[in-house]
Amino acid sequence: MTNASYVERPRWSCALGGALAAVGNLPQTVPILHCGPGCAGNFAWTNNGASALNVTGPCLGLNVPATNLQENEVVFGGLERLKEEILNCFEIMEGSIYFVLTGCLPEVIGDDVESLVLELNSPKRPVLFSSVPGFNGDSYKGYEEALKTIFLGLAAKKTSKNSSLVNVLGVPPAMDPFWRGNLEGIESLLSLLGLKSNLFFGPRADLELIKKSGSAAKNIVVSPLYGLEAAELALALYGLDYVQAPLPIGAAASERFLRIVGQALKIPSTKVEAAISEASRIHYLYLEPIIDLYNDMELQRHALVVGDVNYALALSDFLIEDLGWASELVAVVNDLTESQKEAVLDFRKRLGGPYSPEKLIFENRAEAIRQEAFKIWKSDEGKKYRNDRKPIFVAGSSLERTLAAQLGAAHLSLTFPVTNRAVLTTGYTGYLGGLRLTEDLVDACVSGR
Amino acid sequence: MNYIDSKIPPIRELRHPETSLAHGGKFCEIKSRKGRKCAVFSQADRSFTQGSICPLLPALGIMCTLPNTVVLLHGAVGCGTCANGINVNARAGSGARGRAVQDSVWLSTALDEVNVIHGGDGKLREAIIEVDKQFKPKVILVVSVCLPGVIGDDIDAVADSLKDQIEAKILSVHCEGFKSKFMATAYDVVYHALGRHLLPDPAEVKKKKDKNLLNVMNVGSMGIADEKELSRLFRELGLKVNFFPVFADPESFPLAAQAALSVSVCPTHDDYFLTHLEKKYGVPYVIRHMPIGIENVSRWLLDVAQILGRVEEAKKLVKKEEKELKSALKEFLPAFEGKSAFISAGEYRSLATASLLRELGFKILGIRSFHYDGFAEVELDKLSSDKDFFFNVANVQPFEEANLLKKLAPDVFLGHMHGNSTAARLGIPAQVIYNTAYAYIGYSGVYDLAKRLYRRLTRPQFYHNLTRHGRLPYRLGWYQSDPFVYIRENKEASQ
Repeated sequence: MTNASYVERPRWSCALGGALAAVGNLPQTVPILHCGPGCAGNFAWTNNGASALNVTGPCLGLNVPATNLQENEVVFGGLERLKEEILNCFEIMEGSIYFVLTGCLPEVIGDDVESLVLELNSPKRPVLFSSVPGFNGDSYKGYEEALKTIFLGLAAKKTSKNSSLVNVLGVPPAMDPFWRGNLEGIESLLSLLGLKSNLFFGPRADLELIKKSGSAAKNIVVSPLYGLEAAELALALYGLDYVQAPLPIGAAASERFLRIVGQALKIPSTKVEAAISEASRIHYLYLEPIIDLYNDMELQRHALVVGDVNYALALSDFLIEDLGWASELVAVVNDLTESQKEAVLDFRKRLGGPYSPEKLIFENRAEAIRQEAFKIWKSDEGKKYRNDRKPIFVAGSSLERTLAAQLGAAHLSLTFPVTNRAVLTTGYTGYLGGLRLTEDLVDACVSGR
Repeated sequence: MNYIDSKIPPIRELRHPETSLAHGGKFCEIKSRKGRKCAVFSQADRSFTQGSICPLLPALGIMCTLPNTVVLLHGAVGCGTCANGINVNARAGSGARGRAVQDSVWLSTALDEVNVIHGGDGKLREAIIEVDKQFKPKVILVVSVCLPGVIGDDIDAVADSLKDQIEAKILSVHCEGFKSKFMATAYDVVYHALGRHLLPDPAEVKKKKDKNLLNVMNVGSMGIADEKELSRLFRELGLKVNFFPVFADPESFPLAAQAALSVSVCPTHDDYFLTHLEKKYGVPYVIRHMPIGIENVSRWLLDVAQILGRVEEAKKLVKKEEKELKSALKEFLPAFEGKSAFISAGEYRSLATASLLRELGFKILGIRSFHYDGFAEVELDKLSSDKDFFFNVANVQPFEEANLLKKLAPDVFLGHMHGNSTAARLGIPAQVIYNTAYAYIGYSGVYDLAKRLYRRLTRPQFYHNLTRHGRLPYRLGWYQSDPFVYIRENKEASQ
């Protein structure tokens, strides 16, 4: 974590928020929050403003059962209240799984939630539990903890390996505003290799598959950091190995992704290459109509990319490799330790595209990002002959709108917080995702046409 | 004693012990304090609850709109990320008021495990010093949330120790969610901070009193359309309006003390500050009625006019406005005739909107109010000719709402932002009645809501599609149950 005394407009919520976004999207599952009285409302308004208008699910928003702890419980303990809540929850809320998530208050006052959950848990009505207080980490941490609990509590212990089933890890619901489409894009890539995907979360997730996740052939972690701890846990629990790859945005990244997965699963390379060849053929048939405008409208841009570790590097690769843009400055916004930063850079080197961005910084403060951007785009202004690296495109969050305006740049909200877009199916992974991203980027360039 | 002299303001339930979160029964039962689950005026609660909001959210709703101000949240990193949603309003509101569209500045000390063990005061201290240098704001609002409240951080002491070292004024705001059940505490804690630090010396104010200046309190209930409507009406009476405190620059705060009168738009919000303004600066106030609904708007205007000696002008204005509005509404009334409605929102808004709907020809099947306190008695009286509808006091609790809606099957549902999806998922056309992007207040607010209701009722297809496919998380058995079975009376505390 950062040593800074404050985080500016945090580009994530807390562990409880990340865990709720995950568990609330787990099939047939009722999350139960054991936390202060405002946490659920806080997350609803967070997602309203930051997750591309994704707010409710049947058990999200203000529908989620929650103990809303008050002073009395803070003083005398909240376990009794939680027990009552869970028992009444069984009566009212329809679910196959009940999943308790604890926030800051019970963790500080020392409620022994684990024992209570053990007491109430039964094979017929599983009650799971993740400890996810906000002071222990951010949304990504919450996503990770929820995944770990799923591997511990839901995945089957001993069944024979299913050689065509893979688990997809590393796409955190709501933190990735395009998570549903991104999971679907990864699922269709994997299906090109004849693999069945267990996605855990969202409309295409399946509880029966989740229960079999321990016997999958591989965990596929599409992130330099997120989902890794869960993958390590699954390795220890089930001997289930994992393979890492960047979020496969667009054609070039999808090709790399298919080769990485194919190699890890020992799929014959002829089969992998045939799949790539066919997918590429169709991809370029779709891309074809824009060739004229790419030339005639000078659709090459100089990009500033701002996003989390999943997006920042994957977007930069896409812009360089698929669109031939210049990736001038990439800001990775997560608060990372030095060793995490090294891991991210090493991941990029090993698994990312062949071209680095001109400059990469680890930074989330608007003023610091602005200063870096101004060094590139505002120095020597007014000089008669100057390579001004324009036109500029800002591919970042909604918080970069001010900077984009200062730079005279086009802007598209792609990373959390995404305030000004409504996302239902849109995702940018896979071949089709790359085409969609091309459409959206070009839309932003030609909207005044 | 004057509360404002103490560092930490009292929570709502201490100042208004009658405030309640839990009641369920027929409307006629609330006045008599009876009912199947009549828990009003006792410290009742529920043995099953769904997530709610705490004072932090409405407090941020005000704080994030203040220009030249930084909101420094002292707590875990998730507390206050709702500012992402609030920022939508702050950006639009700045633009609508002729200022640059810009993001609010909210920051978090992001307390971690080490801070929980060793205390977060040091980190807060560093943060304040750095924020002052980095952002150069006029005001830093230091907001304490649950975590510092449990680990014992003293934000007031930190703020005091730094006040001579930094340029900005430091205001501490206490939003420890677990300390108050009532969101309304939010208004008190923000008013407390503003009132303690940003109002002028009473001696200076005396020379600047303006007999034509009216404070209209807005803690976020009204968007620009509503403010414009009230400005228009008061202009007709020769009055200038100071909307306060949302979007007010800290330097403009002395205006509030110079006004001839203050008027509350939503009585449950403002008594803490209005009594302070009266005591310290001699600004009298009106805190009765909410200007939603034809008769309510007229009564509210006449109350103000009465005190400021403009009754004749006001009577004329009200007559003219009502006539014009009623004639314009004729277009919609046939579509509303005999239609049934269910309302859920903040106490005052839900009750005032019920009066408005009756004026439009709707039949009220139920009203849900996020809390209940003595301020609403006058609104209950207005509705008392009809005793048969349900009245449910709940800090949202959509499970009770789902149960009632399934039983009552209203033609339309009117609810607060983030409170409409239960109805929508059941296929009931839902109309948002709190969202600052739209108009609700004054005569034009009546027309605007009627216009939107007409559109909803005549084009309900989106909702009807959800009748078959909308998902709610409740067991079938729950819909057969008494909706109020989880309300738990606390006999010891009841009167």
